[in-house]
Amino acid sequence: MLAKGPDAASLERFIAAAPLGQQAAMRALLALARRPRGAALLSLLSPLDQLPSGLLAMARYDDPDISRPLGWDAAAVIARGRRLRRAEGRP
Amino acid sequence: MSARLAQRLQAEVCVIGSGAGGAPVAAELAEGGVRVALLEEGAWHDPDHFTARSPEMLARLYREGGQTFTLGRPPIMLPLGRGIGGTTLINSGTCFRTPAHVLARWQREYGIEVSEDSLRPCFERVEEAISVDTVTPELAGGNAAVVRRGAERLRWSYGYLRRNARGCVGSGVCTLGCPTSAKQHTGITYIPRAQRAGAQILTGAQAKRVLIERGRAAGVLARLEGGATLEVRAPTVVVAAGTINTPLLLKRSGLAGRSGQLGRNLSLHPATAVFARMDEIVDMARGVPQSLYIDHFAEQGIMLEGSAGPPAYAALALPLTGARHAEAMRAFRQLAVFGLMVSDSSRGSVAALGSRPLIRYDMNAADLQRFRDGLVRMRELFSAAGAREIYLPLPAGVDPEMARRRDLKLMAFHPLGTARAHARPDQGVVDGSLAVHGLRGLYIADGSVLPSSLGVNPQLTIMALATRLALSLLEGDGSV
Repeated sequence: MLAKGPDAASLERFIAAAPLGQQAAMRALLALARRPRGAALLSLLSPLDQLPSGLLAMARYDDPDISRPLGWDAAAVIARGRRLRRAEGRP
Repeated sequence: MSARLAQRLQAEVCVIGSGAGGAPVAAELAEGGVRVALLEEGAWHDPDHFTARSPEMLARLYREGGQTFTLGRPPIMLPLGRGIGGTTLINSGTCFRTPAHVLARWQREYGIEVSEDSLRPCFERVEEAISVDTVTPELAGGNAAVVRRGAERLRWSYGYLRRNARGCVGSGVCTLGCPTSAKQHTGITYIPRAQRAGAQILTGAQAKRVLIERGRAAGVLARLEGGATLEVRAPTVVVAAGTINTPLLLKRSGLAGRSGQLGRNLSLHPATAVFARMDEIVDMARGVPQSLYIDHFAEQGIMLEGSAGPPAYAALALPLTGARHAEAMRAFRQLAVFGLMVSDSSRGSVAALGSRPLIRYDMNAADLQRFRDGLVRMRELFSAAGAREIYLPLPAGVDPEMARRRDLKLMAFHPLGTARAHARPDQGVVDGSLAVHGLRGLYIADGSVLPSSLGVNPQLTIMALATRLALSLLEGDGSV
């Protein structure tokens, strides 16, 4: 589960950037979304109510071990960007 | 970027905000010999610290971590940038000049003296400053190729977008901070120019109140990180805090409320995205995410524009759950996506809820119909492109023609209008020259002054109007 995974910290930082009142609600909804029955319940609601499931998915697919086999390597993109930036003297 | 210990500064012009409005004003004025102080609430974001990781960069580069929502039917996510560059730091870089019919409407309905001819020199000046150029098909990538194929088969009008980018290699993460600094956002174009010309740029400085003395701007009170108060004394103040925060700052200051329009007339360009699974490898994250547009339905208020990103983006935006979501994500390399943006006639409002904005916005029937029509068109588009499966952003079993407001999964990126321009003081917050009605030395230069939806991305319009304001102040039409 994400709560114990390598990206739990980044998701937590993401939630912590939200307004205070919203953080509590989002954590509660995320807890619900992590449970199979809770996720099934959320899937019946309006699209925005499904946001917690979407956030969990975002964090999951942000994990390099999961995104690399899908053809996306964030570290490589960043390394290339830095190399080009320095070579061309950009800010 | 600059000393944070100053308790009092003297300037000729104080600019609030470093985004599409504030940065051009600061640079043009500073280069014209004016002593400028610019206050930016956020930080300078060092590209060396960009990671292209979605949750992390959303938390760092976006106001409220990108988790700002409107209240209403339906709720809409409204991500805004925070830091040097404002939203230009995290937008897709798309550049459109203001459509002629919009300028004509502003003249006709709002009495604002703007025409294509009068704005052309400002557009040219901005486009040179931020290196606006058209995306090449090669750089646009596989996602744009899929959509182009669909548009050509349907004989729809389309084109490659113009963007403020130089040396772009299609990293695919414009909205997470450009790792090559190819996107020419205001933080690496206008702000360095302003600094070189002597402007003081203060980060971590949140404007709390605009000071007025005897009917004339006198400066700005700001709160610095750590809590100290900074007073900038300046006879001219240009507010460019953005459509959401500008009306809150003016309300806190007890200003510009006479017309009753401050905080009202909010338009958003609500948008959504449609995914499709193709037979071919698309690799949507390779290439410029927003590189192609379809304007075939622009007269109906429907604009189709590119929208793509890495797997984390797709995982968040994909309108599926459970096993179907996982199955679609396994085929990520075959996924294509395109955006649908509505030139809205709905209007919302911004008010203060404590220190936070309370954004109200209810979609009207006309805009709902635009979404229904737009989603039908998107389905046609991907069908024509040869999609194996199309994922509309609607609950299972809901046809686009029957979609209700609550069925829509929307985001918005272009809040406009909360301090709208109007020639009449009883109808607008600023006049056509962006001067606040009834006050001397106070101007607004951000999206809040635009009195209606544009139907296209607004950054170039905001920059051109800000440039026009700065040049008129330098010419002595203002009071610098």
